[in-house]
Amino acid sequence: MIDLNTKLGNRLSLSNPILTASGTFGYGDEISDIVDVELYGGIVTKSLTLKPREGNPPPRIVETPSGMINSIGLANIGVDLFLEEKADFLKIYRGKVIINIAGRTDFEYCEILKLLTEENWIDGFEINVSCPNVSEGGIEFGTDPKILSNLTRKLRDLTDKFLMIKLSPNVTDIRIPAETTQKCGADAVSMINTVYGSAIDINTKKPLINSVIGGLSGPAIKPIAIANIIKAYQVIDIPIIGIGGISRGEDVIEFMLAGASAVQLGTVHFYNPLAINEILQFLEEYCSQNNILSIGDIIGKAEV
Amino acid sequence: MRKFKETGVVENVKIARDIYRLKIKIPDIVNSVEPGQFLNIYFQDSPKIFPRPFSIAGVDDNNILIIYKVVGSQTEKMSYWQKGFKIKVLAPLGNSFELDSENNVSYVLIAGGVGVAPLMFFRDRLFLMGITPYFFIGAKNRNELPIAEDTKSKLYLSTDDRSLGFAGNVVEHFKSMLGSIPKPVSVYACGPNQMNKAMAKLGIEQEMKLQVSLERVMACGLGICQGCTVKIKSATSDCHYSLVCKDGPVFKGEEIILTADER
Ligand SMILES: Cc1cc2nc3c(=O)[nH]c(=O)nc-3n(C[C@H](O)[C@H](O)[C@H](O)COP(=O)(O)OP(=O)(O)OC[C@H]3O[C@@H](n4cnc5c(N)ncnc54)[C@H](O)[C@@H]3O)c2cc1C
Ligand SMILES: Cc1cc2nc3c(=O)[nH]c(=O)nc-3n(C[C@H](O)[C@H](O)[C@H](O)COP(=O)(O)O)c2cc1C
Ligand code: FES
Repeated sequence: MIDLNTKLGNRLSLSNPILTASGTFGYGDEISDIVDVELYGGIVTKSLTLKPREGNPPPRIVETPSGMINSIGLANIGVDLFLEEKADFLKIYRGKVIINIAGRTDFEYCEILKLLTEENWIDGFEINVSCPNVSEGGIEFGTDPKILSNLTRKLRDLTDKFLMIKLSPNVTDIRIPAETTQKCGADAVSMINTVYGSAIDINTKKPLINSVIGGLSGPAIKPIAIANIIKAYQVIDIPIIGIGGISRGEDVIEFMLAGASAVQLGTVHFYNPLAINEILQFLEEYCSQNNILSIGDIIGKAEV
Repeated sequence: MRKFKETGVVENVKIARDIYRLKIKIPDIVNSVEPGQFLNIYFQDSPKIFPRPFSIAGVDDNNILIIYKVVGSQTEKMSYWQKGFKIKVLAPLGNSFELDSENNVSYVLIAGGVGVAPLMFFRDRLFLMGITPYFFIGAKNRNELPIAEDTKSKLYLSTDDRSLGFAGNVVEHFKSMLGSIPKPVSVYACGPNQMNKAMAKLGIEQEMKLQVSLERVMACGLGICQGCTVKIKSATSDCHYSLVCKDGPVFKGEEIILTADER
């Protein structure tokens, strides 16, 4: 048996380094009839906002080479309904529960965190400061270091639970937000959120998604994610959770070699809902073939 | 209960121009699928990542049937599949057509092109119950008509180019026959967006009971990505977004608000 246990700082340990990526797995219960949710080290929920959000008008998704662009616009049920309808499922879930939070203002982020940090079945938070799909809030939080440090400090003061900031690749230098979040007391960073993208119908001359510019995800962005992780790993000591186009076990190894301590599966759930089974099997095989006793031993071992 | 399965192609035959019937072996779900539901077919190692949704067009013994039209790269790939080819599917997905609560209604099925698929399955169900529905099928021309005759329905064919049957589109054809169909009618429609829109309008004008199966581009088909929205107006609430893959694909005629910019 290979040791897949993964420690993300002092506040969170996972039974294996595979999490779900926000927005690609609902709140866990919607897909649990197809996928064995217990196979993951933990679930990261769809972004929650203080009030429910309808999301953007259609069309919201378009398929692009080896990827997709979305402009869902943080459509979600809001924190109250979440506690009413989704808590029961997550309470009995044995893996870790990480709640992804989004807001328009510092106030909104803080209110949600205050509400949820009291719940003992919640193991941590991922802060979405990088959504390209909302007109206000979202991505500015992640791209302006001042705003980012203010928010991170405030959230750190409000919770003793695991606090992870989700970074956007839509910046000139990922090292700046990465260092900022570390300095302000975050336990980890996750990266990357979606990359700005657009597509146009050549016959109608209209954009193929309503918001014109949306977020690109899927295998197409994997090299961008790897590059950002390599850069961030050089300047921060807190764990990096790698996200972006992971489809198979080989990708997970690549992310970990680049510097990720754990990873999240996102868009792959749409084109291969059972990817987790194949990935865990591959990790076992890869480790035993290469005499790796603990998966953590490969973190950052790429010769860059 | 929906299941993700690796399974095999049993048969893949051309039934009209660019239109094929695919039989897939899925023994453990054939008894639980309902007309109106669809399935996802998954493709490996393609630059196109989305699975492709197809309506369930019927069941026999251990198999599920679909009827598909070649419109792009994935459906083209499908047209080359041969017996024994291994594919991954997720089925059944979505809701289904509801039978009318009254006994003495005339069931009328309206199909545009390959929109016949879910209605063929519904026709089978009605036939088993001793009901012979009216079945209106329209296509661009005679070569694209997925079926030419039918023993389980009263079949009415139309073509846009006048090459067979009624000259004109299927909605016009149905309108022209409406007077001779015993009332009350219960109507079920599936076709291109434009046809669905025309049917929704007609349904409201004529105060008919109408259920329409809609299509949207889908990334997951599971109700997870929130990508396949349609604007819906229900009796109990104002306009809101519903998911075609989970709340649909079948919606009540009066619920549907199809705006001009929706593809
Ligand atoms: C609920 C549902 C049931 C359907 N049932 C049938 C059926 O019974 N028979 C049939 O022939 N077709 C059916 N379709 C449409 C079918 O899914 C598309 O024709 C198919 O996905 C095209 O794939 P492609 O790669 O060949 O074409 P592409 O080159 O990708 O696209 C060609 C056209 O198909 C549309 N399309 C592409 N991807 C999707 C997608 N993921 N979902 C919906 N539309 C898409 C595009 O908008 C475009 O107009 C159904 C669609 C839905 C949503
Ligand atoms: C349909 C869709 C919805 C998403 N919703 C959210 C969200 O609500 N919050 C968030 O932080 N990230 C969201 N993301 C971003 C993913 O969590 C992930 O960062 C991104 O898709 C890159 O990973 P991938 O290529 O593996 O999908 C969403 C992505 C997709 C495709
Ligand atoms: S296709 Fe993903 S929610 Fe409908």
